[in-house]
Amino acid sequence: MPHLIDGRDMVPPEPLEATLAALESLADGDEIVLLLYCQPHPLFAILRREGYAWREETRADGTREFRIRKA
Amino acid sequence: MHPNLSFEQAPPIDVPVRFLLTAPWFGIAAGLLVAWSGELAIASRWTPQALAIVHLLVVGFLLQAMSGALFQFVPVAAGGNVWRPRLVAGILHPALALAACLLVAGLYAVDSWLLRLAAGLFLAAISFQVLVIGSALMRTPARGPTIAALRLALAGLAATVALGATLAEGLGGGHAWPIVGLTNVHAAWGLGGWVLMLVIGVSYFVVPMFQLTPPYPGAFATWAPRVLVVSLGLWSLQLVAPGVRWPIALALLVAAAYAGTTLWLQARRRRNVSDATFLFFRGAMLSLLAAVAVCAASLLSDLPMLTWWLGVLALGGTFVSLVSGMAYKIVPFLNWLHLQREAGIGGVVPNMREMISDSAQKTHLRLHFASIGLLLAAGIEPAAAMAGGLVFALANGVFAWNLIGAARRYRTFRDRVRAVGASPGS
Repeated sequence: MPHLIDGRDMVPPEPLEATLAALESLADGDEIVLLLYCQPHPLFAILRREGYAWREETRADGTREFRIRKA
Repeated sequence: MHPNLSFEQAPPIDVPVRFLLTAPWFGIAAGLLVAWSGELAIASRWTPQALAIVHLLVVGFLLQAMSGALFQFVPVAAGGNVWRPRLVAGILHPALALAACLLVAGLYAVDSWLLRLAAGLFLAAISFQVLVIGSALMRTPARGPTIAALRLALAGLAATVALGATLAEGLGGGHAWPIVGLTNVHAAWGLGGWVLMLVIGVSYFVVPMFQLTPPYPGAFATWAPRVLVVSLGLWSLQLVAPGVRWPIALALLVAAAYAGTTLWLQARRRRNVSDATFLFFRGAMLSLLAAVAVCAASLLSDLPMLTWWLGVLALGGTFVSLVSGMAYKIVPFLNWLHLQREAGIGGVVPNMREMISDSAQKTHLRLHFASIGLLLAAGIEPAAAMAGGLVFALANGVFAWNLIGAARRYRTFRDRVRAVGASPGS
């Protein structure tokens, strides 16, 4: 079951803090689902450097859904 | 549509922070000069004391803070690649600070030689700034109202400095331009075309992101900067056709619409967080609405207190409040992000709220708005200027102390992160 982080009503950098905390315990094959209204470029930079991959989808209400897993 | 941040192009942390750390010292100087000058600061906008105080705030406090913010904002939010930011900041930061000191000294001492020296230094420094930041803004592939407002703001800065240098030359007897008309146009471009334009463009980005509000309405975001720049262009016609005053009404409408829209968005925020940034912004918007009303009244009346109130409300109540509120988001956020970069996943990075405590921010907030109240009262009872000036200086002292504390905490945590990274077995 994916770990869901709804960051839409969080103030930066709370969504990043929550995601980084979740990454620490992320097992191989598991996913983190992050919901935001913006593109978290600071997080992308960290994910790229630390060897994680992500997929992005935009929902009808403008919410961006990011699915993060180990690369 | 919500904004996007790109942190991969961010400059080194010392680039924006060196400007932000300098700004409050000009605020302290402005407050002390108000207290020292008393009635001479209030009596007329033409006294050397009033001119010196205004310029301590606009080319000292505001220009420093907004230049620092541009170095961060243009690459991160606008996707503009600023050429060698550390080198440029290393030249601009001391040049702007020195030019501000020379200008204030020249205005206070009514010394035309100092004024010309300051004008020359400003022309060189701002031309360099406009060239570097402007080329980054022109080359960015990003589009939208924020980019358009930033470009216009930079053009407004160039116009303000060119008009200011012409004024300095005129005060030295170098030409016969109408000084009053030139001053009105210079002030309008400075406050409207540069400061307000930049604030509007940055607000489109930071208000929804940090205050969790809906985005600014698209039509407003597109048209507000355009109407503002056209109104300032028409206002400038008084240089060739004295008496043309009505275009300023358009600029006032834009300012009121921006303040009203921001208050409306704040009322619809998704999370009820009333931190110092939110309260500084709300106070600034109420102050801007009051400044618009006072400016409109000053077009119909010659009461000297109106000019004083306009200065207090626009410079102190609105723009100093906005810069203070934003600094309390920018500085802790930058600290956190740069430390996170150093620490990586699993590294222990302090919470953003540990950089500057909420109570320290709110102490500054209370002192700041208390000083604005006292300074407004000084328009009726000039004796209040002493207390107002001292409290304004104290508020800026607390601001400086808070920012220095954040910089110290950043260094302490950075050294700790590096020590952990370098230790055997880590």
